[in-house]
Amino acid sequence: MTTLRRRLVPYGLLGPGLLWLVLFFVVPMVFMGWFSLSSGSLESGWSWTWAFSNYTDAISEYSTQFGRSFLYAGAATILCLLLGYPLAYAIAFKGGRWRNLMLFAVIAPFFTTYLIRTIAWKTILADDSPVVEVLKFLQLVPQDGRVLATSAAVIAGLTYNFLPFMVLPLYASLERLDLRLLEASKDLYASARLTFLKVTLPLTAPGIVAGVLLTFIPAVGDYVNATFLGGTNQSMIGNVIQAQYLVINDYATAAALSFSLMIIIMIAVVLYIRFAGSEALMGDEEEAK
Amino acid sequence: MNLWSRIRENAVLYIGILVIFYMLAPIVVIAIFSFNDPTGKFNFEWAGFTTQYWAGAFDNEEINRSLWLSIRLAFFTSLGATILGTLIALALVRYEFFGRKAANLLIVIPIATPEVVIGAALLSLFVYASAALGFTTLLIAHIMFSISFAVIVVRSRLIGFDRRLEEAAADLGAAPLTTFFRITLPLLAPGIAGALMLTFALSVDDFVISNFNAGAEVTFPLYIFGANQRGIPVQVNVIATILFAVTIIAMTFVILQQRRAEKMVEKRADDDKKASVAIPI
Amino acid sequence: MTNAKEKRPFMKVAIAAAGLVAALTIAACGSTGGTDNTDVPTAQGGKASGTLNISNWPLYIDEETVNDFEKKTGIKVNYTEDVNSNTDFFGKVQPLLSNGDSGGRSILVVTDWMSQKMWDLGYLQKLDPNELTTVFDNLIPSLQDPAFDPGRGYSIPWQSGMTGLVVRTDLAPDIKSVNDLFDPKYKGKVTMLDELRDSAALVMKGDGVDPTEASTEEWLAAVDKVKQAKEDGQIRRFTGNDYVQDLAKGDVVAAIGWSGDAVQAQADNPNIEYIQPEQGCILWSDNMSIPVGAPNSPAAYEFMNYVYEPENQAQIVEYVNYISPVKGVKEILQKKDPALAESDLIFPSEEFLSKCSNQTSPPGDEAQKKEVENAWLSVVEG
Repeated sequence: MTTLRRRLVPYGLLGPGLLWLVLFFVVPMVFMGWFSLSSGSLESGWSWTWAFSNYTDAISEYSTQFGRSFLYAGAATILCLLLGYPLAYAIAFKGGRWRNLMLFAVIAPFFTTYLIRTIAWKTILADDSPVVEVLKFLQLVPQDGRVLATSAAVIAGLTYNFLPFMVLPLYASLERLDLRLLEASKDLYASARLTFLKVTLPLTAPGIVAGVLLTFIPAVGDYVNATFLGGTNQSMIGNVIQAQYLVINDYATAAALSFSLMIIIMIAVVLYIRFAGSEALMGDEEEAK
Repeated sequence: MNLWSRIRENAVLYIGILVIFYMLAPIVVIAIFSFNDPTGKFNFEWAGFTTQYWAGAFDNEEINRSLWLSIRLAFFTSLGATILGTLIALALVRYEFFGRKAANLLIVIPIATPEVVIGAALLSLFVYASAALGFTTLLIAHIMFSISFAVIVVRSRLIGFDRRLEEAAADLGAAPLTTFFRITLPLLAPGIAGALMLTFALSVDDFVISNFNAGAEVTFPLYIFGANQRGIPVQVNVIATILFAVTIIAMTFVILQQRRAEKMVEKRADDDKKASVAIPI
Repeated sequence: MTNAKEKRPFMKVAIAAAGLVAALTIAACGSTGGTDNTDVPTAQGGKASGTLNISNWPLYIDEETVNDFEKKTGIKVNYTEDVNSNTDFFGKVQPLLSNGDSGGRSILVVTDWMSQKMWDLGYLQKLDPNELTTVFDNLIPSLQDPAFDPGRGYSIPWQSGMTGLVVRTDLAPDIKSVNDLFDPKYKGKVTMLDELRDSAALVMKGDGVDPTEASTEEWLAAVDKVKQAKEDGQIRRFTGNDYVQDLAKGDVVAAIGWSGDAVQAQADNPNIEYIQPEQGCILWSDNMSIPVGAPNSPAAYEFMNYVYEPENQAQIVEYVNYISPVKGVKEILQKKDPALAESDLIFPSEEFLSKCSNQTSPPGDEAQKKEVENAWLSVVEG
């Protein structure tokens, strides 16, 4: 292959996908960016006024919901990792011939609409349901307490809904793990725990990083779980944006809130990747070469 | 091996199975209520057992239409998004090139964007283009928000990929395309399968963005959302259960076929061995 | 939707995307036009034929009416149930309507305040009363001159309903007034609708204020009262239609809700009852309108007239169980389904409605309206 051709290959591979994203994401977002710095209303029209106050107002007004969104999404991500890693591990190494079926069982429920599943969860977690009675018996829920319409219900809903986003990349990286490395570690008299911590975990780090980001990022902007499973003090920033856009028709504030959310998420992602020490998602992929 | 150590050995499997039960819990409830015989229009109080809705599972023309639309849409979305996403993932992992960081950023940002904003912004674009809203606009939107997920899933498989296999193929004189189809693609298969499933699920589940860009088309989630206003018909539970059962049964069937094929191969190998023993040359 | 438009939409959108960026760059210092209704056209009448596209709420019509209409008139109807909520629907049609495009719809059905909002923005056409003789012959007098559209210049009622109390009478037998929702013994067992014009207005009536006459301050006071109750943990959730599920399960014992829901939920659980608040209810209608850019308005007129024939209307009412805006339906149903004809929720007596007020938006100029709406939003999404 000539050098020039070799240099052009990545652009050829990127081309179609990125073109799609540029046309149908970047361009509409430029339009939204225009809105986010405009002032006006549906009745009087909108005009570009460099209204940076849209951003400061939006963030200060809804700082509670911003904080809550990150808290809920963070909690759900940790839960997803705690539930998802053993599951992905079991599928990859203990599933045997049923591996694909187990994988499918994880994602098949998601082929039915979230609304039906959420209604099912509401039935399972209703105030006098057996599940809640058991939780009360175990003192996990106070006697006069409830599960639905609480923060716990929203976090549980987020966890349930985003678990496949965690399991799939984890599975993809676990499945690729070279079992000989684990045997080598065993042969060298490392305990199972040590093998896991020193071999399995680091080798599956890209999967963990991808899973965490795939879970956390969409969970922060989610509004469905708070709408259906939350109560009066569980609104997330996604709910606010939804309402600003649809109920108040304040497109400027909705756009400013969205861009603020995107910027905060990007900062969090960059920090996380620095901290996690892996560059699986952005920047250089040294380990890939 | 005593019982305790066996339990310890397989603890992770038991946890995994418990998590699968957790994933399936709502499906179980949905399936139970597909046999409910509600006295009114709402199907969330147990009122008695009936199979009448199973008998007439596909009687509701509107449900069928919306379901078929959603399945078609999800099929093409997962195909399109996974192809585009895999190509991007290959470029990002395999090549060093100018603008890679920008490309990486462009992959992550759509996931971080609230759905209502994507939906509304896309609609503005379509209106500006005076494109008729319908299947095409839905497909454009769905592929758009699915690409990033496909890229990330495929990429987590690609990183740390053993390139020596490809190099070996090349050394043995395989053409680049042959290497790609015979070596790269099979090794990537789990990642691609994951991306296909995830994007299919994303598409089949989307409400907000579809609501903005569907025009007069009604996808399955749009139908459910509407029906929820005045009571979801029991048929919806039946169809959800059937969908789930069919996919699982089909999957089991494929796996059993594979097993049989494997056994045949093993058996033939055994026979060959016996034969070779029986007829000394 | 014409065939020409459907050709190669992908390329078209791609080209337009480039154009949009260019236009935005140029327009960066300008503004997008606001809209008003000074020059909206009157929907043309004439001989009806062709295809008619209708957008209505889900399960808001029986299964036969559309077929019967097609058979009788030869008009092909595409009846789409894509109005899930006023706000969601507005969000998705607004960019079209502001462009003078109805997305192919000739009739859309939204609630009073949304009809008014669309009219104020110039998104609806004027109706020609000469084309709607059956409608005006049969429209009940109480709905002929609503404050937002006197004489029905752009909106024709589809069905009406009441916002009041929906109660589990076995679990909360003593709830009779709006103020009982604030009783501490029902803490965490009460829900309210997330809609300002329903919930805040009803709460206001509890304090003896008539929402149709209320000032901005009175609206804000009502919002504040709800806010207080929310902070005390009195209110479990703010809901859309899904409050009925909570009631059926007993997670909630009393809710601000709609009469039609209660009629339908009674079939599931006879203890779910609509209670007319001592202070009266909020009355609303969903209305048919012809949007700007609507094709085939003669067929739209034909359909409106058709559903205003009492016989045809009775068929719809029997199925949807809301209040009918058409005269003579009760008499027909007395023969077909006497129980339905006697229900106060479907054919309410004047006495039953005596204290009710029509649904209305907060008063004042744009800024004042926005103040109330924002205050409500920060309660609901707090």
